[in-house]
Amino acid sequence: MNILTQGFYSLLCVVGFSVIFNLPKRLIPLASINGMIGWIIYVILQQLGTSFIIPALIGSIFVGIIGEISAIYKKQPATLFIIPGIIPFVPGYGIYYTMFHIINNDFIQAAMSGAESLFIAISIACGVVIATSIVRFFRPFIERKIVTK
Amino acid sequence: MKELSIKQTISIALETGKVMLQNGAETYRVEETIEKMISSKHNSEVDVFVISTGIIVSTEINDEPYTIVERIPSSSIDLETISRANSFSRLFTNEDMSLEDATLILDGIKNPPKFPLSIRYIFSGMAGGFFVLLFQGNFQEFIMAYIASVLTVLLFDKLTKLSLNFFIKNIFGGFTAATTGLLLVLLFEFFGIHGDYNKVIVGPLMTLVPGVSLTNGIRDLISGELIAGNAKMMEALFIAIALAFGVGMVLQIAINII
Repeated sequence: MNILTQGFYSLLCVVGFSVIFNLPKRLIPLASINGMIGWIIYVILQQLGTSFIIPALIGSIFVGIIGEISAIYKKQPATLFIIPGIIPFVPGYGIYYTMFHIINNDFIQAAMSGAESLFIAISIACGVVIATSIVRFFRPFIERKIVTK
Repeated sequence: MKELSIKQTISIALETGKVMLQNGAETYRVEETIEKMISSKHNSEVDVFVISTGIIVSTEINDEPYTIVERIPSSSIDLETISRANSFSRLFTNEDMSLEDATLILDGIKNPPKFPLSIRYIFSGMAGGFFVLLFQGNFQEFIMAYIASVLTVLLFDKLTKLSLNFFIKNIFGGFTAATTGLLLVLLFEFFGIHGDYNKVIVGPLMTLVPGVSLTNGIRDLISGELIAGNAKMMEALFIAIALAFGVGMVLQIAINII
């Protein structure tokens, strides 16, 4: 149940960001479903109690793979599907709390949340790069599938 | 139909690359696009070097080296433009095009259709509001974050039109996000509805956070584009610092007063 509501929220969140980034209207459904799938995977992995890096990494790998495949399918650059999709992972809270702890003179906490946000950002980027490489490797196969369909 | 000269081709390719880079495309894609567009019309070797603040293109015309540098002013994200520039580059590489046609299409790319302002603000509220719900906010906090995000995006759009320095602009952005968030929490408190201001402020802040530059920067670094990646990362870092500055000012004052 929790996962379903979270999925619903993330879908609408990604739709909102797609409009902010002026994504073409016809691509918004695909991009937001992509973001939703990524976020559901993120939530499931988080509930399994893994570290804070793994959910963001695996989630963005999925966002990247789905984004690249939809890019081939729609003949558009993959960025259009990946940028809105990874937005829910971006450590907004981490950045905010880093600043918040600095204001309260709590530099140890600030360093902790700062490092955490940095590593989340790195894992998102790594996830996208891994996804791009995987899709590049299987690209001829995927294209054949799509063309024959 | 008059054929394009090599110099015209280069300037069209450069313009396309500039538009893509300014609207959030990745460095390697811009390099690839420019190179493909030029080499489709020109058989000498083409070298393209792209960082987030400039593009350098170098090639040989009649055995003479020809290099051109394009400075890129600071940017925002517009995915419609990237999509259009991408299809234009595809068209340009596959077909012969007159200068007039190419310039006409490029002008169209630079002024892409945008969502009507009302829709933009309604949806930007959704972006900030639902982000709060994703991180265990409750319904009251959602409403507050929704209103705060709408106001923040509205004000930030106005600031962008003033063409301020990006650091100052983002300080104001963070300032607005924190002020609207705090004021809304206080206002709702007045009616007996309780909300955590930490959660509410992050919603509008998320609409400004440089998540795309940050991930694109790290992506460039991972794929070996060290200078381009560094430039993007620095941009993201300084935007984040500016936002923190703006939010921090407000919170510092608020904590001292309340």
